[in-house]
Amino acid sequence: MGTVAPRIRFVLFAAASVVIASVPFLTDDRYLLKILTFVGLNAIVVAGLALLLGFAGQISMGHAAFFGLGAYTSAYLTTAHEVPWLLAVAAGTLLAATGGLLLALPSLRLKGHYLAMATLGFNEIMSVLFVEMRGITGGNDGLSGIPFPSIGSFVIDSPAAIYILVWAVAALAFVGAANLVRTRPGRAMRALHGSELGALASGVNTVGLKVQVFAVSAALAGLAGALYAHSVGFISPSQFSLEFSILLVAMVVVGGTGSLTGPFIAAVALTLLQYVHALIPGLSKDAAALIQDWEVDISGLIMILTVIFVPGGLAAFLKRRRSGAGEEGEIA
Amino acid sequence: MGSAELLQFAVAGLKNGSIYALVALGFTLVFGSTGIINFAQGEFFMLGGMLAVFFVKLGLPLPLAVVAGVLATAVVGLAFERVALRPRRDSGPLALIIITIGGSMVLRSLSRHAFGGNELSLPAFTEGASIVVAGAAIERQALWVWGLTIVAVAGLSWLYSKTRFGRSMRACSLSHEASRLMGIDTARIVMVSFGLAAVLGALAGVVVAPLTQTSFNVGARIGLKGFAAAILGGLGNPIAAVVGGLALGLVESMSIAFISSTYKDVIALVLLLVVLFVRPEGILGRATREKV
Repeated sequence: MGTVAPRIRFVLFAAASVVIASVPFLTDDRYLLKILTFVGLNAIVVAGLALLLGFAGQISMGHAAFFGLGAYTSAYLTTAHEVPWLLAVAAGTLLAATGGLLLALPSLRLKGHYLAMATLGFNEIMSVLFVEMRGITGGNDGLSGIPFPSIGSFVIDSPAAIYILVWAVAALAFVGAANLVRTRPGRAMRALHGSELGALASGVNTVGLKVQVFAVSAALAGLAGALYAHSVGFISPSQFSLEFSILLVAMVVVGGTGSLTGPFIAAVALTLLQYVHALIPGLSKDAAALIQDWEVDISGLIMILTVIFVPGGLAAFLKRRRSGAGEEGEIA
Repeated sequence: MGSAELLQFAVAGLKNGSIYALVALGFTLVFGSTGIINFAQGEFFMLGGMLAVFFVKLGLPLPLAVVAGVLATAVVGLAFERVALRPRRDSGPLALIIITIGGSMVLRSLSRHAFGGNELSLPAFTEGASIVVAGAAIERQALWVWGLTIVAVAGLSWLYSKTRFGRSMRACSLSHEASRLMGIDTARIVMVSFGLAAVLGALAGVVVAPLTQTSFNVGARIGLKGFAAAILGGLGNPIAAVVGGLALGLVESMSIAFISSTYKDVIALVLLLVVLFVRPEGILGRATREKV
């Protein structure tokens, strides 16, 4: 978003907000609202992952695990201990952030391939724990009967209200992320992406920065996970698998590095791709099944093709290039 | 625990360890000549088993089906490098990681379309009851696992040390630029490395299929364990990959014997993280420093 004038950016953001906010007034299709709620949840995760991968250049293949950590924590606290919703969600977010911190601290020495493998390994470990820690997670059966979001006696139980809640959080996440990247930490993150050694030599505390960004993005994933648990009422281990982590990475890659708008659009598009059968009225059952069946192939292929042919991702189309800034924002 | 039981666990550990070693060799081979960690390495393992089952169903006799499965996977490996990786060969690690991750997604999913979502099994290479040695039963297929691992390792070290091609590969792992200046076709070396890595992965997948069954989604976890083995030994060194594989197999097996089988997979992964965090260059490896 670097080159779009702040005023235009504000207008775009306002227009998108109005469109998104008006949806519940235009439709009362419960399923559609639910799908669009999922879009919002993925957007929250992607806001954090875009900071980590797109700006700081650090890959995480474990964000589904942070999402799951938030979901299980909040679900367990509200179902088994009747902890108030707001507190449970905060706990889920905090635990995910702590997990991110603990994973990031030793991972500091790692970069590129090693970091990817370490986070991938973390995701697999969590996948096993989600199944095996039956006392808390309910094993393969998962946890059900997770209560709707509520503050005091005010219960957010209609699909429209949940939709608004999730998208309000998503808007906050993006506003926060956009502010972050415009300030000193944002510049430091880009320097880190460009050259870690160079950033270090320029006085950036690369170690501290990496840990902070990792923790923030893990926290956002945990927050989205907690919100997810309370919007669907049921969670099970398969929802937090490696595939989901990879899909999240795909969203940021397709969206483009050094951008928040690009990954946001990619998050919307790739999430909707999963539910395309429900979105196109009049689509035959066979065609719908076919699309659903090939969804993983399509996502994977889009990811590869983006890196090969459009290394800048969607963001490259969105911004007018500054002269001599051709390399900026490419997956390096 | 009696000594026969302990031996039984050791046998199982060395059997799985050989499989990890073969997958680890694939990682090491590609890393050696390209500096890439191939996240699709586990999918080569998966394809080997699945394609062999497919060829058996076509009516091919088992030995032919096994060879055909391995060769077909090699073709996939070569094609993958040529089509997906070569266009961005000069990019940094992030782009290449993402391409191989995308590739593994596509390969896994295509395999599900082609061969279905069910578990498939391959007949044992030789029929017959297990052989009992000192009270431990050894499946005949385990002998095949060890035999093929030894053949693969011997073949690879011969290739590395005795052939012109192997020397070119080693030169590439030191410096692409210098190798090119010496007249080595580095692009070809990289492509063949992927082909060989695919052969090693497929070999592991096909030889273990009669013991464990196989399905379209077995690649991710075996890939992780193979990588853990490669890292454990020290990435880029074939002998270290084998040592790492066997060590990982034994540790896993002993943890089943003495701790619990529930967390068997977790132990391998925790080990991976610990080695990555404490000694990323591996037990047998040497540390390198990043230069500007």
